[in-house]
Amino acid sequence: MAPAQAAHVNLSPAELSFLRSSLSQTPPIRLDNTKGPRDFRSMRAEYDVLPGANGSARIALEDGTEALVGVKAEVEKSRWRPAAGQQESMLTVATGDVMMRDDNEEEDESKGKGQNAWIEMSVEIPGFRDDDPLPVFLAAMLTESLLASGALKDRLYINRRFHWKLYVDVLLLSPPLSYPLALLSMTAHLALLTSRLPALKSEKDEDPLFDDDWDASVPLYPKTGKSTSIAQADKPPVIILAMAVGPNIIFDPCKEELAVADAVLAIACANATSSTTGARIVSIRTIDPPSHLTPPGIPNSMNSATGGTVPASSAEALTQRELLADTGVWTPPRGGMKRDLISQIVKMAVETGGVAEEVIGALQAIEVG
Amino acid sequence: MPVSILPPSAPIAAQHLKREDSDEEMSDDDLPTSTSKSSIVTPGETITSDPQWMRGHGTYVPADTSTIISTVAGHLHKTNKLLSVQPLRARYNPEIGDLVVGRIVSVQTKKWTVDIAAPMLASLPLSAINLPGGILRRRTAVDELNIRTFFSEGDLLVAEVQSLHQDNTASLHTRSLKYGKLRNGLFTSLSGAGGGILSRRGGVVRSKRQTFTLNTAAGEIDVILGVNGYIFISAHSKTAQEQKDVSITRLEESVSETLYSSQNDEIQPGVLREITRVSTLIKGLVACGSRVDEDMIARVYEGAVELEAEERSLGGVERGVGAKGVVETVLARLEMGG
Repeated sequence: MAPAQAAHVNLSPAELSFLRSSLSQTPPIRLDNTKGPRDFRSMRAEYDVLPGANGSARIALEDGTEALVGVKAEVEKSRWRPAAGQQESMLTVATGDVMMRDDNEEEDESKGKGQNAWIEMSVEIPGFRDDDPLPVFLAAMLTESLLASGALKDRLYINRRFHWKLYVDVLLLSPPLSYPLALLSMTAHLALLTSRLPALKSEKDEDPLFDDDWDASVPLYPKTGKSTSIAQADKPPVIILAMAVGPNIIFDPCKEELAVADAVLAIACANATSSTTGARIVSIRTIDPPSHLTPPGIPNSMNSATGGTVPASSAEALTQRELLADTGVWTPPRGGMKRDLISQIVKMAVETGGVAEEVIGALQAIEVG
Repeated sequence: MPVSILPPSAPIAAQHLKREDSDEEMSDDDLPTSTSKSSIVTPGETITSDPQWMRGHGTYVPADTSTIISTVAGHLHKTNKLLSVQPLRARYNPEIGDLVVGRIVSVQTKKWTVDIAAPMLASLPLSAINLPGGILRRRTAVDELNIRTFFSEGDLLVAEVQSLHQDNTASLHTRSLKYGKLRNGLFTSLSGAGGGILSRRGGVVRSKRQTFTLNTAAGEIDVILGVNGYIFISAHSKTAQEQKDVSITRLEESVSETLYSSQNDEIQPGVLREITRVSTLIKGLVACGSRVDEDMIARVYEGAVELEAEERSLGGVERGVGAKGVVETVLARLEMGG
């Protein structure tokens, strides 16, 4: 389970109880009441903001959370690999323009040309150290979803001696007002989608020589299915955050909404390669909701300041709490996620016309428009 | 449409940046930045090197020079020959008598420290609260031990600034029936605009009535506008209404038992919806750069309800995305109507 956000919830039990009751209505009443349960907070996005980077994007949410992502590619000498004989035969096939099938990851390690180490992701969040659990987890989750398809790292291959090394620097410009994973992933998606690499002029195993003309550069993610292995244009993955409150499922929760969540799920989706579904899942994680750490509210019957009697022992207090039938008292949710709930959320995300497809479509529209 | 992504916002429309209170008759000056009224000075920017001007708030004169330099980012103000810079964003500066909404940060032996969005945390002494049942007596060691039953960390309260210390930390009190713990509602914080005497762009301003009741279709809701930019919107409690008529001599009887309760009453779904709607509208008002007061909230609320009804009956009404879009549409309509 992923680490919860370090900055813990600082809401009073009465507020938590209020939020919980409004979010468990049918339909749920969200904190921003112009939004439905599937609506994302409105955001503003732009790309190509950094002149020196191969690709960059900036997304700002209405509440002031802002993320900046820069993608920088460098030519690096490939390390000589000891399994040379096997490598040789494999590479002759590769240079013969037969692209590798992206099978599972273990096979890529030995058979595919791309290596996981060619993509380096760094996530920086103000107020957190580099080795704090939150940035480390976010970076791992983003890298994992990016490498999952295997197509990207193969595209970084130049020739037997050289490859592109891709540095993806993810920067949160504001303090993390809500769980920043979804925002960072969308910004990284947009940056990668608009990244361009200089066109290669040299051939085969020569020292790589590139076209000076930036207009001739090739996009990191090809716009159309030019390459033979990819039927539909490959796009970077995007991570969607969903939470459950009672029977309701809410996408893109804000900080206050997260504070009363029963369970939170991060789903990394890539666009579908076939037309049967809207998107496909590349990775999925549950996130420990901060609501588990909130202190429970004290019911009037147990509060000496409201005419109640304080239970004599903690065991008695526990029994009284369990028997409590009052809805106005905040009790932190317990336990994890039910299986059918997970499948329901996943279905809502990936189905045709689902949330993932809309997010990818909306991000694509920025680049086009 | 669940996902809406817009291009970066254009500079804010000129109408919001117009400063109505800048002196126009000072035409004889030759300030480099005085030509456009919407000009913003940034920290370190030289405002003028003319020795005829005097420095005011937000400015600085380096030793041995007559150059006036801005120390904050904000609008330039001229009062005769005095130059001052009004910061765009500032923390709340407490003043005696302000009604503030605060959140308990820590509990100490004889006092609480309260976040009121000021540069320093305020303190609320144990002696400055009403005891449950309205008993008037000295605070004893037992009260000190039970301090968390009154307020504990994270609790919201509405209080008044009783006094200011030398370092500008505020001391609060809740010794009135209007003040105390907050429940049955939703907290909203507006950043960076709290409590200016001069009207900044957006935010709560000190006014006659900081707490009021709004009549909605679902029922009455209470709005507390803290001068510090913290806002609490809650379901209207009937008991509070009854208590208002009670004289000070019968205080002990009227302080209800639920004064320090952290349990919510049963709230109707309709009321929940209206509370979130008002909170969303207030956020939208700030995003539009408009001031937040009783009159404005009531008007925008009515407009928003009308807009929703229209949308439901006629189908899509043209409006922007989110809270800001709704408020913008309503404000435009209000302007049209007069």
